[in-house]
Amino acid sequence: MTRFDDALIDALREIINIGVGRAAGTLNELLGQHIALEVPQIRIVDQHELDGVAPGSSDKTVSMVMLQFSGEFSGFSTLLFTADCASKLVDLLVDDETPSSELDAIKTGTLTEVGNILLNAVMGSIANLLKSHLNYTIPRYQEGSLRVLLDSIWANDSESALEITTRFTVQSSQITGEFLVLFEVGSFNTFISGLQAAFDE
Amino acid sequence: MAVILHTDDSSFSRLQIGKVLKKAGHELLHADSGKAALALLAEKTPDLIITDILMPEMDGIGLLEALKAQGNSIPVLVVTADVQDDTRATCLALGAFELINKPPKDEELLATVAQGLGRGKV
Repeated sequence: MTRFDDALIDALREIINIGVGRAAGTLNELLGQHIALEVPQIRIVDQHELDGVAPGSSDKTVSMVMLQFSGEFSGFSTLLFTADCASKLVDLLVDDETPSSELDAIKTGTLTEVGNILLNAVMGSIANLLKSHLNYTIPRYQEGSLRVLLDSIWANDSESALEITTRFTVQSSQITGEFLVLFEVGSFNTFISGLQAAFDE
Repeated sequence: MAVILHTDDSSFSRLQIGKVLKKAGHELLHADSGKAALALLAEKTPDLIITDILMPEMDGIGLLEALKAQGNSIPVLVVTADVQDDTRATCLALGAFELINKPPKDEELLATVAQGLGRGKV
């Protein structure tokens, strides 16, 4: 496995910052509210270590949009909210006139598309910086225990992954969400080579 | 005002983009995949086509390829969350006149639609 030195971690953090920054700008346009970002956390994890990711403990119910990517490097990018924050976000984006019978479908459709837009902003910015191209699957929205959801997207428990998490807050609405990107171990080297090339230019 | 075919599998984006275009006086036709768009185009001839890229059944790239193969003359605008440079290059090479990213600003969407309509036969 590739060993990460400080310079590489710094470069990785910067490239993620750029991607998340673009996503924050997009969310700012959608909501008209300031988005505060935290510094990305980066670590190499085994599947059982994923419990530590926010929001909340692994048993807590979360709303998750997942966008799978493949290409020169592959993995999963996810957008995570607590159920409460997901509802608040939908309330900000959807008209009050929506019939209550359609609320579940509207909520799912809205969160899926918002997740799609934000996750594309993050991953597409990274791909552009690395002069690479990613293919995406159709984004998927799920609710449930974080542990179960993560297990469902990362089936091979023998592998490690590069985990990157960044928390963001829509300050005036007290909505907090989290980007979680998992790079599959097999694509580490390609990803890191691209990263080094981008920052050596 | 024009007839616009909007192809997107997201009800949220169809609603948001549809609201802006209808307010500007345009008539909207909807399809939720490239395949559905092609079926609709066999019966109707809109003045402009807007398409997303990532969709089930047939994505926006597949739609552009099919339209190019048919010798399509209707201007096509891609509105997508995909911000990758080479996705843009691919779409333009396949005949789209422009690509803008989601969520489009109202003014940007209307100006780009107007630009496309200027190229088509309205």
